[in-house]
Amino acid sequence: MRWLSSFLLLVLLGVAQALSSSGRKLLVVLEEAAEKERFGGFFGDLEARGFHLTFESPKSTSLSLLKHGERAYDHLLLLPAKSKGLGPALTANQLLEFMKKEGNILLTLSGDHATPTAVQSLLLELDIHLPSDRTSLVVDHFNYDGESAKDKHDVLLVPYPKASRPDVKNYFSGEGVIAVPRAVGQTLGNESPLLAPILRAPSTAYSYNPKDEADIVEDPFAVGEQLNLVSTLQAHNSARLTILGSAEMLQDAWFEAMASLNGKAVKTANRDFVAKVSEWAFKETGVLRVGKMVHYLNEGTGKKSNSSAALPQNNPKIYRIKNDVSFQVPISEYSHTHWTPFTPPPSDSVQLEFSMLSPFHRLPLSPLSQTANSTLYGVSFKTPDQHGIFNFRINYRRPFLTNVEVKEQVTVRHFAHDEWPRSWQISGAWVWIAGIWVTVAGWVGFVAIWLYSSPAVGAAKKTQ
Amino acid sequence: MRLLHSFIPSLLLSSAYVVSAASSWSFEDATLTVQSKGAGVGAGAKEKLSPSTPLSKPVALGSTDSLKMLLTTTNGKKARQPHQAFLTLTDPTTGLEESFVLSVKESGRGKVDLTQKDLPIQFLTSSKPIVASIVIGSFGSSTPYKSKVFDLSVTRDPNVPLAIPAKPIRYAVEPEIHHIFRTDPRSPPKIITLVFAAVVFGALPALFGVWATLGANVNHLSKALSNAPVSHALFFGSILAMEGIFFMYYTSWNLFQTLPAAAVVASVAFLSGSRALSEVQERRLAGLR
Amino acid sequence: MAGTEGDQFLKQATGRNTRGMLRVIILCLIAGAAVSSRLFSVIRFESIIHEFDPWFNFRATKYLVQNGFYSFWDWFDDRTWHPLGRVTGGTLYPGLMVTSGVIYHLLRFLALPVDIRNICVLLAPGFSGLTALATYLLTSEMVTSPSAGLLAAAFMGITPGYISRSVAGSYDNEAIAIFLLVFTFFLWIKAVKNGSVFWGALTALFYGYMVSAWGGYVFITNLLPLHAFVLICMGRYSPRLYVSYTSWYALGTLASMQIPFVGFLPIRSSEHMSALGVFGLLQVVGFVEFVRTQLPSKQFQTLLRALVLIIFLVSFGGLVILTLSGVIAPWTGRFYSLWDTGYAKIHIPIIASVSEHQPTAWPAFFFDLSMMIWLFPAGVYLCFRSLTDEQVFIVIYSVLASYFAGVMVRLMLTLTPIVCVASAIAFSQILDTYLDAEMPKLEMKENGTSEPAKVAATAILPDGLRSTRSPLIGVYSYASKLTVVGASAVYLMLFVLHCTWVTSNAYSSPSVVLASRLPDGSQHIIDDYREAYYWLRQNTPDNAKIMSWWDYGYQIGGMADRPTLVDNNTWNNTHIATVGKAMSSREEVSYPIMRQHEVDYVLVVFGGLLGYSGDDINKFLWMVRIAEGIWPDEVKERDFFTARGEYRVDDEATLTMKNSLMYKMSYYNYNALFPAGQAQDRVRGARLPAEGPQLSTIEEAFTSENWIIRIYKVKDLDNFGRDHQSAGAFDKGHKKKRASKRKGARVLRVE
Repeated sequence: MRWLSSFLLLVLLGVAQALSSSGRKLLVVLEEAAEKERFGGFFGDLEARGFHLTFESPKSTSLSLLKHGERAYDHLLLLPAKSKGLGPALTANQLLEFMKKEGNILLTLSGDHATPTAVQSLLLELDIHLPSDRTSLVVDHFNYDGESAKDKHDVLLVPYPKASRPDVKNYFSGEGVIAVPRAVGQTLGNESPLLAPILRAPSTAYSYNPKDEADIVEDPFAVGEQLNLVSTLQAHNSARLTILGSAEMLQDAWFEAMASLNGKAVKTANRDFVAKVSEWAFKETGVLRVGKMVHYLNEGTGKKSNSSAALPQNNPKIYRIKNDVSFQVPISEYSHTHWTPFTPPPSDSVQLEFSMLSPFHRLPLSPLSQTANSTLYGVSFKTPDQHGIFNFRINYRRPFLTNVEVKEQVTVRHFAHDEWPRSWQISGAWVWIAGIWVTVAGWVGFVAIWLYSSPAVGAAKKTQ
Repeated sequence: MRLLHSFIPSLLLSSAYVVSAASSWSFEDATLTVQSKGAGVGAGAKEKLSPSTPLSKPVALGSTDSLKMLLTTTNGKKARQPHQAFLTLTDPTTGLEESFVLSVKESGRGKVDLTQKDLPIQFLTSSKPIVASIVIGSFGSSTPYKSKVFDLSVTRDPNVPLAIPAKPIRYAVEPEIHHIFRTDPRSPPKIITLVFAAVVFGALPALFGVWATLGANVNHLSKALSNAPVSHALFFGSILAMEGIFFMYYTSWNLFQTLPAAAVVASVAFLSGSRALSEVQERRLAGLR
Repeated sequence: MAGTEGDQFLKQATGRNTRGMLRVIILCLIAGAAVSSRLFSVIRFESIIHEFDPWFNFRATKYLVQNGFYSFWDWFDDRTWHPLGRVTGGTLYPGLMVTSGVIYHLLRFLALPVDIRNICVLLAPGFSGLTALATYLLTSEMVTSPSAGLLAAAFMGITPGYISRSVAGSYDNEAIAIFLLVFTFFLWIKAVKNGSVFWGALTALFYGYMVSAWGGYVFITNLLPLHAFVLICMGRYSPRLYVSYTSWYALGTLASMQIPFVGFLPIRSSEHMSALGVFGLLQVVGFVEFVRTQLPSKQFQTLLRALVLIIFLVSFGGLVILTLSGVIAPWTGRFYSLWDTGYAKIHIPIIASVSEHQPTAWPAFFFDLSMMIWLFPAGVYLCFRSLTDEQVFIVIYSVLASYFAGVMVRLMLTLTPIVCVASAIAFSQILDTYLDAEMPKLEMKENGTSEPAKVAATAILPDGLRSTRSPLIGVYSYASKLTVVGASAVYLMLFVLHCTWVTSNAYSSPSVVLASRLPDGSQHIIDDYREAYYWLRQNTPDNAKIMSWWDYGYQIGGMADRPTLVDNNTWNNTHIATVGKAMSSREEVSYPIMRQHEVDYVLVVFGGLLGYSGDDINKFLWMVRIAEGIWPDEVKERDFFTARGEYRVDDEATLTMKNSLMYKMSYYNYNALFPAGQAQDRVRGARLPAEGPQLSTIEEAFTSENWIIRIYKVKDLDNFGRDHQSAGAFDKGHKKKRASKRKGARVLRVE
């Protein structure tokens, strides 16, 4: 609804811009207005994509993420602050509350400043760990920028990330190297499926504390690929939290800076990468939408249509066991400006579950047709031979895609008394049917004889 | 797998530096000892490591063994203390890595101890030998060093169960489920059914035959019809009609069609029956039955 | 009383028309009294369906009226037993609903549109009038004195033992089943007396109706064969018995098999085997009788012996084989509990947990039957004096029903009719004896032909009894007669008083609405149940699933119209045990269960504030026991008792008890009502811990005025994948502590 109304507004204004699927109000929290200029390019890009930026200082009294119990902004960009606390409006609870209302947060850290306590405890709560000392840096003696960090090796030059798994879509691919200056690395807990890394440190990188471990690193916080430079959390309601280990990446200075990697001169692709990360973070990519689910009794006559208005028997509330049922659903994916047909990666598929307590069927949905902005998926199956209250359920959760969990309850009833095969269709029953007919004939014959018999010649009595 | 792809080029890259750069990190006097618990000092296998060629045979690490590696880090042939001196283990199948820090003194002497307790659970369950490489690097312009030095094969004691935590949930495609239907009830072979049905049908002529031999007949039909034609016709007719109603109920009617019809026929049968049966009684009293 | 008037009137009036007229009027009055004494609850409260099961019957009747007979027949109910659903059409006794439906349509046909609820409320009183009539008919078949019949009808009309199940609003199967029971017995007696296929067929017809109405039909199924069997054993086999029994059995069994719920039980379950066995026995006996007429006696003896032996061996062997192979269903638990009252408690807690399945306490007999309990043996004794076939029936019925009434409270209902019949026989005997004002000299002039039993029994008995033949022994003085008659009249009055008092005080509460007295004596209505059910109806989505203990399933379905997990139709023990486990486990265990069953709200009954003892904490041990039956490793009854074996809810309650969901839901926020540390549970008389329980996975949604009903909403999964405890702690401001120095190997994240 929200995206729709914003979309309408946009059409009215006659502005052809890219737009997030979940709103355009973006709050940028930065401590000093002077800092703004250093991020001018990034803000310009955001504004060009249709966001309305509001700038607030964390200390501002008017700052409030929520208004009347609803979120006041659609997205939040937190830039690093020097002060240790972020103020009463940005406590960890407030930030979580903002996400509960489906607000997205792009959180930036910086090795130059200590991480605020609110951010620390927020991330800890979400099973994202930061170095315990607040000044740790990520260094890599193999992949550093020879121009700006010749000695300190704290500006990492890393290639674009690859998909973390072959069955996951990669929204962050590109050509070139990304400069990650003075990053704070994060590690992710192994338990939570909501977490996903975007950019991981090279395998030779490690995090150290410049104060205590100036000579030799003794107990690094994390090393290699376990150390994340950009990581994400997508909550159950698909609110996104993106943690950017290095706020400096967003600065104009690094957007298209000249750097040297192992002696070779390269140009950083930060502008493109940062755009991709922020597009994802603010729900311009990786957003799925499920249209109206249609299911109907498949009587084999080729009644294939998803216009439910035309066929009143679509989406019946009740089926019988062993019915042939067809199910169809359109799925779209939001891509920058508009909805497009969704196609999962080759080794992935959207699955339909037909479940009661546990799934009885779990079937892959196959694409049937495509329209300009959605793919129609469908599958046909036979309802199980167990009556009960079932759910058509699509639970499609994948890293970097918004969660799709839709279900529709239907009842599967038993055979009614007149739906069983008739007795003459069952060959085993013929003996009994024969018995009935013999009895009927015998009875009629008996009545006739009893009524109309004359005395027998042999004086034999009949049993009555 | 994917990690491996990124890992190999960087290996190549780093070894290239060993050759080309003037001032570069390396190590020397590296020894590797695997010692079993309880065995005397120096009883374990001792291997010498070389910075350029990895050991040909994998090093076995049992559940009670402890691995000890001693080396001297050098920068341009001189013993130096680097900022980073890691023993990095990489699972060749999953690409998972874990690094262990060598505690290097200022003289460049460094050592690391490793037992199975220090290994993450994924390495303990790995089927292939784990690649162990040494990473040495520091600030400044010296070329860092990274190269594979040996393979580590973890052998576990099968008697000691391993507390493997449940696999964490990852959102991915789940195995398909197809409901298995109960098999339909089956009828016996038709030939057997037909034989028995024939036997049952055979009972009818047998019954009528027995009745006939006992002297059953319908000789008084005309008499009965002449005495009480209406009631006899109605009574017998209603009995037949009742069977017909049952047949209709069996084939097509529902209860609400059957019951009124049955009620009508039953009352006809009752009324005509009392007349018809009293006629039969008359005949009986007259000794005609 | 009725007899007295009739008798007096007889002196002046002529002809049986007047007497018949009087009898009709008296019966009508009795029926009127029977109906009106059941209307207390309607007058006191309102026209409302009572208790638990009637709510289901009411809901089913509404479904029948709205959707027609055949969709009722094939009804798959998706609003109970979520998510299994219930094949309701095939698992209920449809007689009650169909009866109401027929009455409803009949009244509409007569242009009298009556709300279906009113029909349901008034069905039981209406049928009680018919029961009185049927009792009259049955008693009149037993003895010749018509006063006995009228007395029996009057007794049956107002005895509390029957009223307990048939007050207005108690729309349960028993409402029509007792009428059918008595009427079937009447028809059976008629059939046995006349040896008529017609009456036998009528018996079968009403037996079929009875089967369609109540599971208690098994009582008839076993009593009639027993009667026949005893008659055969007494050497009273007759073609009449053969005709009546076989026509009843053949037609009745066919009729009973038409009910989907019964289906093939009559030929497969052990409870029905006695009827089949006696049917077979009768064929054998009939055959032997036939052979006896054809053969000389000596050959006959040998044949008989051989026959008996063979038949016994064959039938017994067949029964054993069929039972072992599972063709004949083994005895059900409910059946075992009829013989061993301790059986259910050990093996089937779900049966034992029902209060009406408990053994009867002895005062209940006096409470429900009053003076009839001592008249009853006298009546049975009188039957022994001239032991006709039908009086044998009374004897058998009394013995069996007395036993069963002692075993199970609800079976008091089957005992009541025979108690009324037998005590009416005894009482009419007394009255007939002492109300005869004439001296024995004036021997039967006019009485002899019309009403032989009206004559004083002591003086003019039939010639059969030698000992009483000598004349003029007995009590003839008016004074003694007056004393006896007066005393009897007083007893009758007291009986009426007792019945009215019991009905009004004990049996007329709808139990949906509770009544209490305020200190000033005025009535105070406690309407928490309906308050909560209407809250559910108006504030929750139409298919919000409600989890509660099964006792409240029917009421939630009927009043709140919301799907439930379990209800009073306890067909699936595992499902009930699942709910029991959810209630008796820790929140972390219960939450996944509730999620899996898509539970939206949890409803508990808590009587601690009001002192309402029928609440869930008092039923809690049954939940634990039933859950333990399925998951003995996870739920243990012992854990809910303190070390000293006490069931406590206060400070000394066990940890398991305090952590159980039921305990938490009952006492959540209860402290807030009292000054600190003063929280008091008035049912269990316990002072509660100062610190109230904390809930994390569910949140309070509604608590009724007197806290009897508390409704909780099940929370959704935590948005950030945390467990609810830590999420709750975080919201309260307890920030997670960073893990101190790690020990051992690192945990690596794998994508």
